[in-house]
Amino acid sequence: MRSPIRLERRLEQPKWLNWAVPLISLVVALVLGAIVLWLTGKNPIDVYQRIFERGFAGKKAFSGALEMATPLAFTGLCAAVAFRMGLINIGGEGQFYVGAIGAAWVGIAIGSAPTGITIALMCLAGMVFGSIYAAIVGLLRAKFNTNEIITSLMMNYLAGILLNYLIFNSTSYWRNPDSPQFPKSKDIAARADWNTYKIFGVEMPIAFLISMLAGVALWFLYKRTRFGFEVSVIADSPKAARYAGIRTSSTIVIVLALSGALAGLGGAADVGNFRGLLDAKGLQMAGYGYTGIVVAALARRNPITTIFVAIFIGGLTKAGYSLQGPDFPSGLVGTLQGLILFTAVAGEILIKYRLRTNVSRAAAVAA
Amino acid sequence: MSQSAVRMTGIVKRFPGVVANDGVDLEIRAGEVHALLGENGAGKSTLSNILTGLYRPDEGTVEVDGEQRVFSSPRDALEAGIGMVHQHFRLVATFTVAENVVLGESGGSLFMNQDEVATRVRELSDRYGLAVDPSARIWQLSVGEQQRVEILKVLYRGAKVLILDEPTAVLTPIEARSLFATLRAMADEGRSVIFISHKLGEVMSVSDRVTVLRGGRTVGTVNTSETSTRGLASMMVGRSVEFERVVRDNPADTSVTVLRVDEISANDDRGRASLHDISLTVGKGEIVGVAGVAGNGQRELAEVISGMRASTSGRISVGDELVKSGKARSAIARGIAHVPEDRLHTGLAASHSVEDNLALKNYRTSTISKFRLLKRRAIREQATALVERYDVKTPNTTTPVRLLSGGNVQKVLLAREFSALPKVLIAASPTRGLDVGAIEAVRERLVAAANEGVGVLLISEDLDEIMSLADRILVMYEGRILDDVPAEGADRERIGLTMGGSNVQEVAK
Amino acid sequence: MNSNIFVIIISSAIFYGTPLFYAALGGILTERSGVLNLGVEGTMLIGGVSGAWACLHIGGSAWFTVTMSILVGALAGGLVSTLLAFLCITLKTNQTVAGLAITIFAGAVGLSSYFANIWKVAKTPVPRPIRTMDVFGLADTPVLGPILFRQTSLTYVSWLLAIVATVYLFRTRVGLQLRAVGESPQTADAMGISVIRYRYIHTILGGALAGIGGVFYSLAIVPTWVDGMTKGAGWIAIALVIFGFWRPSLTLLGAYLFGALQSLSSTLKARGVDISGDILDALPFIMTIVVLVLVSSRFAHRRLGAPAALGVPYEREER
Repeated sequence: MRSPIRLERRLEQPKWLNWAVPLISLVVALVLGAIVLWLTGKNPIDVYQRIFERGFAGKKAFSGALEMATPLAFTGLCAAVAFRMGLINIGGEGQFYVGAIGAAWVGIAIGSAPTGITIALMCLAGMVFGSIYAAIVGLLRAKFNTNEIITSLMMNYLAGILLNYLIFNSTSYWRNPDSPQFPKSKDIAARADWNTYKIFGVEMPIAFLISMLAGVALWFLYKRTRFGFEVSVIADSPKAARYAGIRTSSTIVIVLALSGALAGLGGAADVGNFRGLLDAKGLQMAGYGYTGIVVAALARRNPITTIFVAIFIGGLTKAGYSLQGPDFPSGLVGTLQGLILFTAVAGEILIKYRLRTNVSRAAAVAA
Repeated sequence: MSQSAVRMTGIVKRFPGVVANDGVDLEIRAGEVHALLGENGAGKSTLSNILTGLYRPDEGTVEVDGEQRVFSSPRDALEAGIGMVHQHFRLVATFTVAENVVLGESGGSLFMNQDEVATRVRELSDRYGLAVDPSARIWQLSVGEQQRVEILKVLYRGAKVLILDEPTAVLTPIEARSLFATLRAMADEGRSVIFISHKLGEVMSVSDRVTVLRGGRTVGTVNTSETSTRGLASMMVGRSVEFERVVRDNPADTSVTVLRVDEISANDDRGRASLHDISLTVGKGEIVGVAGVAGNGQRELAEVISGMRASTSGRISVGDELVKSGKARSAIARGIAHVPEDRLHTGLAASHSVEDNLALKNYRTSTISKFRLLKRRAIREQATALVERYDVKTPNTTTPVRLLSGGNVQKVLLAREFSALPKVLIAASPTRGLDVGAIEAVRERLVAAANEGVGVLLISEDLDEIMSLADRILVMYEGRILDDVPAEGADRERIGLTMGGSNVQEVAK
Repeated sequence: MNSNIFVIIISSAIFYGTPLFYAALGGILTERSGVLNLGVEGTMLIGGVSGAWACLHIGGSAWFTVTMSILVGALAGGLVSTLLAFLCITLKTNQTVAGLAITIFAGAVGLSSYFANIWKVAKTPVPRPIRTMDVFGLADTPVLGPILFRQTSLTYVSWLLAIVATVYLFRTRVGLQLRAVGESPQTADAMGISVIRYRYIHTILGGALAGIGGVFYSLAIVPTWVDGMTKGAGWIAIALVIFGFWRPSLTLLGAYLFGALQSLSSTLKARGVDISGDILDALPFIMTIVVLVLVSSRFAHRRLGAPAALGVPYEREER
């Protein structure tokens, strides 16, 4: 049996492919999504038009996109940072929760303090909590060679259980004693300090600015520092890294901790900038961590591109939420995101290989 | 005798960026041992992969028993009676010999009858002198035994044409001799044997006829009885080549020991002991050759000395400084350079650029980085200078090394290792897979380094290489050093025997 | 007698372990061919929602409806994993990322939820759930009755499958060739075995079994479709394959162990035992991590029987 498609390894990878392929992937995903919609009796053009209007058209819609993009930028960076070393951290979800728990703790505890300090302390707490949580995965990987994919995923479920326990099933420090009927967390007094700036009529949350800074910092880290060089050598060939005296094990732990810190920072932003409390149900419904993987894959692990892709996926997700109803079923946006991930993954192949068909070759031989 | 079993005409096979076969003709008769001779990269393996249906030729025809055939898979070729013994064995390590032999057999019952298979395997092995236990698992067997399983597999399927790709590369001289007897027995029964090699001596002793390939083309086919080693060599490389013992400008100074290995033991990747109390020294400017059949601990030895593998006991020192066990950084800092066997994926980061690879070991130094930030300009300047000095052919310094030819890959590696001004150099199979020009260049570099006082530990499976370069020869077998002799006037026969584990404990020393 | 708490724990361990076993058995077949399917969770959900849909729409006798629902679930699971097979085998994409893509695409907030919405199966109890049956009238036998004779039809089929799969893998020629493909595709290819065909067939077969596991959730455990109802079972199944050393028999035992952990909190709560449900809920996930750590050193992995070529795309004309 010979498959009709053949892949031929490219010797050179032309630069233009780096941006053309993700764009093509996106278009293909939208076309596939249209087919799914059409098959299930929806009008794809109508659906896409509404997604565009709600997600991107106009200042209000774009403000919504940026708000939704903020957590996705952080989880996208979280996934991208690990991907760069060939590690697959799908624990961004759990690290996000744990970061939120840490930031909420600090937010509740400090009450009121000068603006900059509350934000800094909450961010720090989110990062520390997220990075410790992720470092566990890294330690297991470095020490016992335990597959980081499954452990990080299991820790997502554990973090979810922890959230439920803190808010619903205990009288923890986080839980608001004034609301016994409807369990929720205490309010974060410091939330007022998390500003939103208006730029050309578009509302830009301060957390989004932080994510942009983080993106640039990561780009610098990977391009210009010794650490970045070491990470890229490990990703290319772990043996070469060992040969060159690069400390692989500790680098794995550091990269995962950094990855977790970014997700945790997202959790802090969620608590401070957006919800103003530790929303156990809402966090688990949102699935920011998983969507972040889609963002990082489409951005081809580039931290700066990640921010832009986050805006796009953010708008899509926002539109999905606000349109949800009988004629805009839930699950649609998730399906589209899944398709984007598929085509982004398949697109990676187009960058590495040239696609050839065997059919045309067989015809040539016959002729 | 003149009946042709296989005739390949005008075979062309292109790979991205290379034409591996460019109009090759090959004709094999029934009942002959036919050698296919050529340098690495001459197109021998590609040609045999086409004949066994693994690759499809872009042009040309294949005839078997006078009938034109197109093989679209190895199954087709096997059914036409063509079987191959690959250089890298195609065996499932966790399966038994019998399971490996019946694998892929079409038809037959749904369930396997291990006993029946075992009986048939035993019959075949008796007939051809290929002793092996059918119920043993592959990973328990020695390399020589594994090769017998490969041959049995092909015979079991009733192959009339057997192709053996560099079969002696993994054998001791004695094992090789017994293989030759088996090949002869098969040819006498009317089967055809295609023997792929680049070793002239073997080709002369085993084959009836020889076809020589060079640069993807057929140079010609000659009767072995009408040619000579010298004649074949000049056909193979297009000029006469002879490797003679190198005369050193600046002889070794063994009164100064640069590398001392003291009773080192270490485990292999599976956690089994693979080095047993190895001790050796390398003097200043001395080239010490380590001879042995692959897989007798040479790789582990190189890795332990260069800090890539932790030792379980013993000490390594350069001059009077200890090297920390399992710490490559310590080995690099003490001045140990290492040219590993797997150049592209261990010695280099294949997808990284030439300039990054040239900085792979010194990126931590202050010339290349400051405050943990890389100085990109310094990296580029270093690369430009080294590319020039070591004559690396590359489009520019940002080209990924995996796009370079084998010879240039090795030059990048050598440039980095030599430019670090090491005290000790560990070179593992430094010329393997290179063409003649590149081999000569690498050998000159090694000798030049020794002339400058570097102690060189040359690990190679190519005994000729060791005999021509080394000052002293150690023979390794099963993780031990069995022999230690000066290379000048060394007895080839004795070294060959020792490589196979023959007891020569009472060596003069 | 029958209400002895250990009997209840064991019988519900088997009940809750059944879908885990189906998914894990599928994983064994897929991984034995050298393909790592991390899309099990999504595949199970698609199987579950399709089975629920079939149960709501296919009439006939109870037996017929249930059988058809199971088959529809298997078919849906098979289709989803065909997509994975195409990505991993033909396009040679990174298998972990491709599997993850399947789970995000088909998962709790993806296609399975979309289907549930447009087919309107969400929160509608299925009319013909898979029930436990009374085998030979022995269901009320003390101790052994609830454990052995009061299970669902799918449980009994799974016992049969465990035996069939063991014989298939270790006693037949096709099984030998399958294992060769997973251990050393180069060898298999050189011996004329079609690596691509074996990998496609077993990836799809594995997906179909995961689909059946999903149907067990929507037709037997709840039995109503709820978005994301497998709650990580697919991931536990992946760990179970490792835990069972890629052998059906050991995996069956592992599935029941995890089934016990999953059912423990509801069983104990129903019995009035006062224990924090959260800790019990966390147990399967903690156990999975512990198990992975125990078996994941590089040596252990090979010695326990991980297919050597697991997760490595096969490329013939490598140069």
